[in-house]
Amino acid sequence: MRIRMVGLGVRLTILAAFAIFFIAPVLWLVLAPTKSDHALITSNPFAFGDFHNVALAWKHLDAFSSHIFRRWVGNTLFYAVSATAITLVAGVPAGYGLAIGRFPGRKLVLSLTLVVMIVPGAALVLPIFLELNAVHLIGSSLSVILPFSFFPFGVYLAYLYYATALPPSLLDAARVDGCGELQTFLRVALPLAKPIVALVFFFSFVADWNNFFLPYVVLADSNQYPITVGLWDLLSSTPSFNPAVGGGGQSVKIFKPELALATLIAVVPVAIVFLFSQRALVRGLVGGAVKE
Amino acid sequence: MARVEFDDVSKVFADGTRAVDRLDLQITDGEFMVLVGPSGCGKTTALRMVAGLEDISDGVVRIGERVVNDLTPKRRDIAMVFQSYALYPHLSVRDNIAFPLKIAKVSKDEIGRRVAEAARILDLEPYLKRKPRALSGGQRQRVAMGRAIVRQPAVFLMDEPLSNLDAKLRVQMRADIKKIQSKLGVTSIYVTHDQVEAMTMGDRVAVMRKGELQQVAPPQELYDRPVNLFVAGFIGSPAMNMLEARVERAGGGVAVVLGDARLELSDHPWLAPYDGQPVVLGIRPEDMEDAAIAGDDGSPRLRGRVELREALGADVLVHFAVAARSAVTEDVRELAEDVGDDRLRSEDAGTATLVGRFSPRTRVLEGDNVEVSVDRNALHFFDPQTGLAIRGS
Amino acid sequence: MASSIATSEYTGATRRRGPRALQGLPFVLPYLPLLIVFGIAPSIYALDLAFTNVGGGWVGFHNFVRTYNDFRFLSAFRHVLIYTCVWLGALIVFVVGLALLLHGRANRVSATFRFLFYMPGALAGSAAVLVWLFMLDPSVSPGAFFLHHVLGADIFAQSIAPGNLPFIFAMIAFWTGAGGWIVVMYGALNTIPHDLEEAARIDGAGPITIALRLKLPLIRKWIAYMVILSFATGTQLFVEPQVVQTASFGLVPDTWSANQLAYQLAFRYADFNGAAAIAVDLLMIGLVGAVLIVTRSGLFRTDD
Repeated sequence: MRIRMVGLGVRLTILAAFAIFFIAPVLWLVLAPTKSDHALITSNPFAFGDFHNVALAWKHLDAFSSHIFRRWVGNTLFYAVSATAITLVAGVPAGYGLAIGRFPGRKLVLSLTLVVMIVPGAALVLPIFLELNAVHLIGSSLSVILPFSFFPFGVYLAYLYYATALPPSLLDAARVDGCGELQTFLRVALPLAKPIVALVFFFSFVADWNNFFLPYVVLADSNQYPITVGLWDLLSSTPSFNPAVGGGGQSVKIFKPELALATLIAVVPVAIVFLFSQRALVRGLVGGAVKE
Repeated sequence: MARVEFDDVSKVFADGTRAVDRLDLQITDGEFMVLVGPSGCGKTTALRMVAGLEDISDGVVRIGERVVNDLTPKRRDIAMVFQSYALYPHLSVRDNIAFPLKIAKVSKDEIGRRVAEAARILDLEPYLKRKPRALSGGQRQRVAMGRAIVRQPAVFLMDEPLSNLDAKLRVQMRADIKKIQSKLGVTSIYVTHDQVEAMTMGDRVAVMRKGELQQVAPPQELYDRPVNLFVAGFIGSPAMNMLEARVERAGGGVAVVLGDARLELSDHPWLAPYDGQPVVLGIRPEDMEDAAIAGDDGSPRLRGRVELREALGADVLVHFAVAARSAVTEDVRELAEDVGDDRLRSEDAGTATLVGRFSPRTRVLEGDNVEVSVDRNALHFFDPQTGLAIRGS
Repeated sequence: MASSIATSEYTGATRRRGPRALQGLPFVLPYLPLLIVFGIAPSIYALDLAFTNVGGGWVGFHNFVRTYNDFRFLSAFRHVLIYTCVWLGALIVFVVGLALLLHGRANRVSATFRFLFYMPGALAGSAAVLVWLFMLDPSVSPGAFFLHHVLGADIFAQSIAPGNLPFIFAMIAFWTGAGGWIVVMYGALNTIPHDLEEAARIDGAGPITIALRLKLPLIRKWIAYMVILSFATGTQLFVEPQVVQTASFGLVPDTWSANQLAYQLAFRYADFNGAAAIAVDLLMIGLVGAVLIVTRSGLFRTDD
């Protein structure tokens, strides 16, 4: 019994240590905008400052390059939502078709999807840039939205669900009951896949929101940046890490608190989506891919 | 209401297996036809071809006067009850039953009327608002039936709808289904692997094996006059006893020799051509009786030693060993495998164990020697090469 | 017998045309252009560019050789290799270890920890790097103690000394990615039937023995996937070095990782062919990983 208690204690200690490792930076980030630049250096990293500082930090942040920060957030929302919408409309039915279908080439499409899904997206960014360049799409929002909406992992999730968790007799019953193929999908297959749709939405949205490399490469105009690239832009404009900037006669007031605030704002939407999807995520992801 | 016709219908799968082989079967209007056979015999495939859930490789299926080969299920005017019920989990019982009517764009009032009617017939009124996961197996089965009858189709198709229910419930539902079908008078095709279900429910029963139709007849005829070894062994429980025997001409008639027993039969002239040749002799358990109870009736006798005695109440099943050989043909082996009995019979090659259904007054016990009276008019003979029944007429 | 309706002629077993021959295809159609344009075509285009020159003429392996000989090529790939190994090592040891630690009883506690581990995944991308820029700055970081004693750093510039970089990047990648893999490993552990565990316990196995000798071997497959996937992803490193480079006043070269080199070739030197050659190098590594997973597993079945 003693040994069990000790064992439990050791377990908890290790887990707690890692929990601190994972959470402490986030906690610091949440508290950072409440302090002034000076206070960040001098006071306790986890001390709470003042809401006043937050408002000040926001003022500076917003003033940067005539409110470009708001544009960045707006852009990211626009890109992520549009791309995710396309992903859902194209990807979920595709997973369904691949699972129940019997057309020639089905296995080929499935294999290609799997292979491309595992190949890291970064490998394709430069070729995609060149592709888009060749059709003169560089510079439009589509150059970000369209590549984003190709999300093979979403197709795979839908495929897995429909291939393993949907009894084929249900579809047969629908057909016998008078449904054509489209109706069978809309009235029976789709309503039953709600958790999967939620999962695909989650993964797609988060991936699009957090994507850096593709927008970095294809967007030249900083007004079009999503927030990920915007943060980088901000970083290169702040004297905090880049003293060369500060003395250029600009009244750029981007210091550590502003950066922290920017990062925090950049993270909040995804964190919210995370919180709401947490249960569905763990159950769905694990249940779907790793048959419980 | 319509007749269903299989006209030389075959189904070949992509890997070459012939699931259904040249099936010719006519089901009359309003008939309750049961397709029965061991797993893999093609009965479900045949049913699904009528439903339109399987493509037809060859031949023609007609519903009514229409050839339906190229019609999608929804155009065939059929309804189907699946083994797993296939209820829509996201819909309530009411919506499940109403589903096909909604798709067919039937008016709301009409839908309400028909659903209420179906719920009444099937005792589902208290459950209309529930979802399938809140129902018991029997209730789900009734919802599946409700969904089928509400459409007033030309044909009902049922794919082993009772397999997932426990025994007592099954007996009850059998009767219910039969009653409903009688009342509605809809042509029905019912698939099962349980021969008891087949016998109790079918107007006619079609026995299938490896894609081929063996025999189609009313249940009693299948029992009394099976057309081959397979049907004889499949229908009836406990199964017909099959023994190796030889025919000998004797006196004015024939004698059948099995092991050390010799049965004199004067009124089986059709066996004469088999003089000197082996035949398979089939005796149903119910056509045997403890000789002590049968009395001195001049019936042919077998002698054996009792190995097992199972008292059922109304009868006693007695397993006894005789000095004869079990018939071992492909059919017999397949029948055994179907019940899961894949042991190689390593018992004494010279003895066979028979099962007899005796009167409960029998006194025999395990280990006793027993003399068994056999009903000479109920003996079945089969050609060991072809498996076909050897019959007079 | 029927009928005035003529019986169609059917040619027999080989007839495949029926109402169901193309079942499912319409659902897949909208996705196909995306797959082709953003999955297949870029790969092919990259291949094409890698083997041709600016004018479009075929040059064989010339681009590959040329980029290989670039003075930054070997160091870029070396950096990436070290980074990947460190990251993989951390993943294997800590992800598996944490998953095993979490997989026991006390489900609610376990779920809370899993959530905490998973939270940083929300910050993937440049946000995570930014957070860690702060964490690596001894003047503001709550971990100044560690920075001083582990990295010997008293100012930011020392934290990001070149020797530290692979470890720092690995730590950032671990911080954002571990949570997801822990969830997957945990799920994999859940597929182990309880009976096995109970039988082991009855046989006298303690919790550590059970973890190492029963559970660990049974999730080997998943660990392998994690390694293969992460290896391929690791070699593609871009965000972290790019962001750190910006914050480092030039201390960190802008061609630290292979992808960065490709990027510079494309946008600083307009050498698309060279960039493509490197992209193809990385693509091949990713493909090998992908094919390994797809072929060696029952996880990704292509037939139902």
